[in-house]
Amino acid sequence: MADEAIFDKKKSHHAKRAGRKADKKKKKNEVDQSNLSARQRNPKAFAIQSAVRAERQFRRREDVISKKQHIPQVDKTPLEPPPIVVAMVGPPRVGKTTLINNLIKSFIKTNVTSTNGPITIVTSKKRRLTIIECNNDINSMIDIAKCADLVLLLCDASFGFEMEIFEFLNICQVHGMPKVMGVLTHLDMIKNAKTLKTTKKTLKHRFWTEVYPGAKLFYLSGIVHGEYLRNEIKNLSRFISVMKFRPLSWRTTHAYILADRLEDITSQETIRKDPKVNRDVVLYGYVRGVPLMKEAMVHIAGVGDMKINELSYLPDPCPLPNSEKKRHLMERERQIYAPFSGVGGIVYDKDAVYIELHGSHSHKQEDEETNEKKALLKNVVETKETVDEQMQESGFKLFSGGAVIYPDMIKDDEYLQHMKSKDSDQSSVDEESESENDSGIDQSEKENKGKMSKLPWDNNSASEAEDNEEQKDNKTDSEDDEEKSNHNDNFSIKWKEKLGEKATMAYFERQKTSKNIMKLVYGDFEIGNKSKEQNQKEFESDSEEEEIGGLFKKVTSTQKKKQKQKDQKDVDECSFFYSLNKPNLRDWTSELNKQYLINSFVTGKRSADEDASELLKLDDASDDEEELYGDFEDLETGEKHVSVENTEAIKEERAGTKRKAEPIKSEILDKKLKLKAKFDAEYDNPDDHRIKGDHSYYESLKAEALKQSELNKSVFENLDCGLRVEVEGFRPGLYVRMLFKNMPSEFVTNFDSSYPILIGALNMAEQNIGFVSCKVKKHRWYKKILKTNDPLIISLGWRRFQTLPIYSKIEDDLKCRYLKYTPEHVTCNMHFYGPITPQNTGFLALQTVNNNPNEIKQLGFRIAATGSVNEINKSTQIVKKLKLVGTPLKIYKKTAFIKDMFTSTLEVAKFEGARVKTVSGIRGQIKKALNKPEGAFRATFEDKILMSDIVFCRTWFKVDVTKFYAPVVNLLLPAGSKNAWQGMKTKGQLKRERNIHIDANTDSMYTSIDREPKVFKPLVIPKALQKGLPYRFKPKERKTTLSGKSPKNIFKDRIAVIKSPHEQKVSNVMKMLKTNYEQKKEKEKEATTERLQKHKKQIEEEEWRKLKRQKELKKKICRHLSKMASKKKPQM
Amino acid sequence: MRVLLSILSGRAIKIEDIRSTHDDPGLREYEVNLIRLLDKITNGTRVELSETGTSMYFQPGILVGGQVTHTCCTQRGIGYYLEVLLAVGPFCKEPLNAVLQGVTHHDLDVSVDKIKSAALPVLLKFILVDDGLELKVVRRGAPPLGGGEIVFRCPVRRHLRPLQWTKWGLVKRIRGVVYALRVSPTMANRVVESAKGVMIKFLPDVYINTDQCRGPNAGKSPGFGVSLVAETNEKTFYCAEAKSLEAGSGETSLPEDVGNECALKLLDEIYRGGAVDSSFQWLLALWMALGQKDVSECVVGPLSDYTISFLQHLKEFFGVMFKLEVLRSESEDEASDDDEEHVTKAQKVKMTCVGIGYVNISKRTL
Repeated sequence: MADEAIFDKKKSHHAKRAGRKADKKKKKNEVDQSNLSARQRNPKAFAIQSAVRAERQFRRREDVISKKQHIPQVDKTPLEPPPIVVAMVGPPRVGKTTLINNLIKSFIKTNVTSTNGPITIVTSKKRRLTIIECNNDINSMIDIAKCADLVLLLCDASFGFEMEIFEFLNICQVHGMPKVMGVLTHLDMIKNAKTLKTTKKTLKHRFWTEVYPGAKLFYLSGIVHGEYLRNEIKNLSRFISVMKFRPLSWRTTHAYILADRLEDITSQETIRKDPKVNRDVVLYGYVRGVPLMKEAMVHIAGVGDMKINELSYLPDPCPLPNSEKKRHLMERERQIYAPFSGVGGIVYDKDAVYIELHGSHSHKQEDEETNEKKALLKNVVETKETVDEQMQESGFKLFSGGAVIYPDMIKDDEYLQHMKSKDSDQSSVDEESESENDSGIDQSEKENKGKMSKLPWDNNSASEAEDNEEQKDNKTDSEDDEEKSNHNDNFSIKWKEKLGEKATMAYFERQKTSKNIMKLVYGDFEIGNKSKEQNQKEFESDSEEEEIGGLFKKVTSTQKKKQKQKDQKDVDECSFFYSLNKPNLRDWTSELNKQYLINSFVTGKRSADEDASELLKLDDASDDEEELYGDFEDLETGEKHVSVENTEAIKEERAGTKRKAEPIKSEILDKKLKLKAKFDAEYDNPDDHRIKGDHSYYESLKAEALKQSELNKSVFENLDCGLRVEVEGFRPGLYVRMLFKNMPSEFVTNFDSSYPILIGALNMAEQNIGFVSCKVKKHRWYKKILKTNDPLIISLGWRRFQTLPIYSKIEDDLKCRYLKYTPEHVTCNMHFYGPITPQNTGFLALQTVNNNPNEIKQLGFRIAATGSVNEINKSTQIVKKLKLVGTPLKIYKKTAFIKDMFTSTLEVAKFEGARVKTVSGIRGQIKKALNKPEGAFRATFEDKILMSDIVFCRTWFKVDVTKFYAPVVNLLLPAGSKNAWQGMKTKGQLKRERNIHIDANTDSMYTSIDREPKVFKPLVIPKALQKGLPYRFKPKERKTTLSGKSPKNIFKDRIAVIKSPHEQKVSNVMKMLKTNYEQKKEKEKEATTERLQKHKKQIEEEEWRKLKRQKELKKKICRHLSKMASKKKPQM
Repeated sequence: MRVLLSILSGRAIKIEDIRSTHDDPGLREYEVNLIRLLDKITNGTRVELSETGTSMYFQPGILVGGQVTHTCCTQRGIGYYLEVLLAVGPFCKEPLNAVLQGVTHHDLDVSVDKIKSAALPVLLKFILVDDGLELKVVRRGAPPLGGGEIVFRCPVRRHLRPLQWTKWGLVKRIRGVVYALRVSPTMANRVVESAKGVMIKFLPDVYINTDQCRGPNAGKSPGFGVSLVAETNEKTFYCAEAKSLEAGSGETSLPEDVGNECALKLLDEIYRGGAVDSSFQWLLALWMALGQKDVSECVVGPLSDYTISFLQHLKEFFGVMFKLEVLRSESEDEASDDDEEHVTKAQKVKMTCVGIGYVNISKRTL
């Protein structure tokens, strides 16, 4: 065997050491193959094999890419975003509260006993959550869907998906789909492992069809000691904290607030007098969406439209940690804020506020005093703290050189009190001021006021002054500014030293000037506003100004100012720079003045970096880079020019010497750096890896959006808070306090914190009401069809309201034709009277928001229809088909007089020229009214019509939309019945309730139809014709006459024959004889039939006997024959 | 002005004490005429005037636009009406196609030429794509009697774009139109000569057209005038204009003076600088404020009184406050060093604002 093995051994492989192959391999191994891509390693495999296939591949790739592309949106999330709203939605008893408790515990490691209303927690360094539970009321579900960023849809796995979940998903789709994550609970109720598996799978797939394939569905496998498994909760919380959100179009155009705190600041006295008095309510919450403007109208869902009386921002009760370099949150930074559930130190009950004083949190600033007096005082103080004050505060901040000192409320109070006392006796306060800080405030305050009042006045004076001084005025203005800023410096330096801060003069000045011009424009305006609000204060400030008057000119009284404003308004409007009188123009032709101007022409000198010759020079210098610098000179206009080093060089160049100056090294370096940055920006963009090819248009769009978002973020960054709020509004992420006056008292008395209070800002014109036209489709799960003019509850924008819609269909000529019912499976148009809302806003319609279980069971699915807004108008054009019917009165050849179509000549006049038609299809036109039978008219037709014809006129009748709009005010309902809002009822409902039956139209009832046989007229042949006819065809005898008498009646007209007695006797006898004879005949007949029958019988019997005999004979013969045959056979 | 904003914001306004202490109390004829025009382009507008005309209640409707023909009051130029139409034009339901008849050139108002050359490019920056933005001067008409006619077409937009316009560049060419209505054609040539004489010192690229109107095209009254446009390399247009005195006023104006005056005005405008002509600062501000909820910023020359009061109204109606900054141009920083050259550059104001996210609610979507 061993020998065999030796023989069997194959020749071993020898790698080539030399030759072509070896060379190739060596060459290949020279480069490190490990980190090369397959394509690089084996390029041949990736070469195009087939052009068609390559084309298909390319096309597919492009398809995929373009599917990925979205229209780039400007990213509007602020630097410090508001907390993310996480909503727990699901049917009752599914484990929502448990999940909230568990999540809070996993995030901030504290147990929360009761969860009520929104709960804000800090979860990571950059993220906060507001967790809110949604109760089982369709109103809440709608409001939650409008504000939630992330929805956790809880579902009892042992039961399956319930109708509420599908309803909620539909609501979400209409109002902008938030992120949705499903959570399956009660999984431990399913004991069998296999059923568990199949349930999970079926539920998952059902969920995917509803949301999107691949949507995340969590399984919470069971409860241990009243808690979910820690691991699963941890997983869930991890998912929540890395979730990304796509902006929704409604929320990127509207600001909204989910109120997490409510306070009634109506004085107790007025409430005591009249418990139903309208309340002043303060609501708190984070601004979300876009910046909220100060004067904005808002809609409080479930209450109605309100105007914010006061809006101010507060220090964040649940702030993100400061940006220190830590990886994790400190324990004390894991904060929770939930005033409604009694965590943040304050518990809200219906009519009382309880304060927990062991709080470990920093935000118990506004503890309510139980003492009424103090509370009253506080109210006064709080209401005074308007943004005007904040402006002044901001002045303080400005001087402190950007040190962001958020004034505490307490401090504020102090400050305000100072203000008051100062007003009464200013100088004394100045001396008495306790802390340096406060005096600083006072002084800056004074300064501000002085300016505020002075500048607008200055402006007026400028306009009064001669126009040629305008320029100079500006100059003097700026001089004034400098003066003032110097003055300010004097003040500031003192306490700047004390505070030890390094505010630079330049910063000061810059802020100063920009502020000044704003004051110039808005200053007097603000004061005007203030005078409306606080007249008293105005006067005080006036007196103040007089004191300051040493520096500036005295200010006239406010009345005079108003007068001046009025004068200005009365003057003809004119948008020229010089208003009316002609200006004294500067003589630009003079050499001196020409100097000012010459550089603004292309022929003039340019600044260094724009001058073409210099650019060329620089290009030469940096010859390693061939690219042209295109547009980058835009980036840096000022700096270079300012820089001290190169001013000399520039000057030399300006002098016109063509000497090629050696470009300064630093300059080149600068440019190189810029180029590099540009290059980096282009190529380091991670998105480029995903999207390849020529998508320059998309890229440019994207870049534009990015640029805009950066600009949005950066522009107001270095403004102080007060001014910033004034300019861009209350940006999202701020915690604000809103005062609403004249809220209905039910809002406070019936307050239930488990209902979300959603405050949505209304944009321009959205507070108005008009006719809204939209396209709508009945929901395919809704059982009934919808009827025109049946009340419908619509959730559109922030609002929920009931209205009376009219359905219509757009015809080919863009006419809206009235429909009585919604069609099935297709969209139709709907018009209703309601709030004006931008186009393309989605809405949904419900027939009832009542949570009556019977009603729900009857309806099944509550969402009746969905759609979106098309158009807004102040009038509607819906028409209904109308057929006017008339009959001919008289007919001429082609003209006919028609009656019964109209009732008056005026009506006819309106319809002159209208087209009419007979039933048989003869067309015609209305010509003119007749005066005799009122309403009759002359019409012409294309052919002669018959008297029996009916004439139609087809027209359109305008249908008006009923002006009915009633907001759903479910938050005002008493606590138990908040989900039982009942608006207008449908006609059907009313009839059912009152047991009214309709009398059926007798015309539409079915009755048996008796049709008499048609009797035709006899054929009448004219005499002339009869003559010519052969005898056969001549009418023989007239059975009927033309006069229509039936033959029976022929004798009717004849004379009656009366017989004489003899004749009577004769006839009697004859009659008797006749009867006798008839009798006899009858008898004979009977006898004959009897005889005949007998005879027949006899014959039959005879026959029968004969037959019998024959049969027997046959038998006999047959027997005989058979015998014979049998005898013969044996012989054979 | 307030009425205009009322229409855009959809808020009803009540104006009281209109010239109540004036010799000629109440609304003027041209103001009533303007309200009529606004009534034509809207649906559902309700206007109530008091008997004396000193108070007015105005409840705006929905902007419809479409085909409008309007005879303007001759007390004011067409520019007065056109400015309003220009402001509301992009927010109508249907594209605006307005025919206005009246005085095309008036002392009190910007002339149609100026709007055509300086205001339309500004609007174009906001709507970006020009589909039918057009202003056509069919006939010209001088002040006392008018007789001019223009056609204005404006496309509609759902919303305006935010605009960043902080560079205005350098003047690269100067163009102009001289019109002469019912006067000798030599007048026009004389105007051209004098205007060109001034401008040529600054820039060689000066070209001025003459528009000698005859017959019905020349309107009903005699007159002549000039408008000059300076175009920069950043597509900013400055425009200035001058015209002869009214025919009946007794005095006469020399064409040379008119040309000279116009040229000086243009230089003044250039001196002021900024991204837009000073007459249209308010339009710029309006469109910036009505943009999407994004930051717009523009640099303009010193604010005119009209603009200032307009900004105040903007704040009142829309709650938009502009951040205004005096731009520190390099020259001012350097003022201490080389004073002579740069010191007197006109003050530039940088206007920054966040749009209110205004959407055209009248437009129809299908």
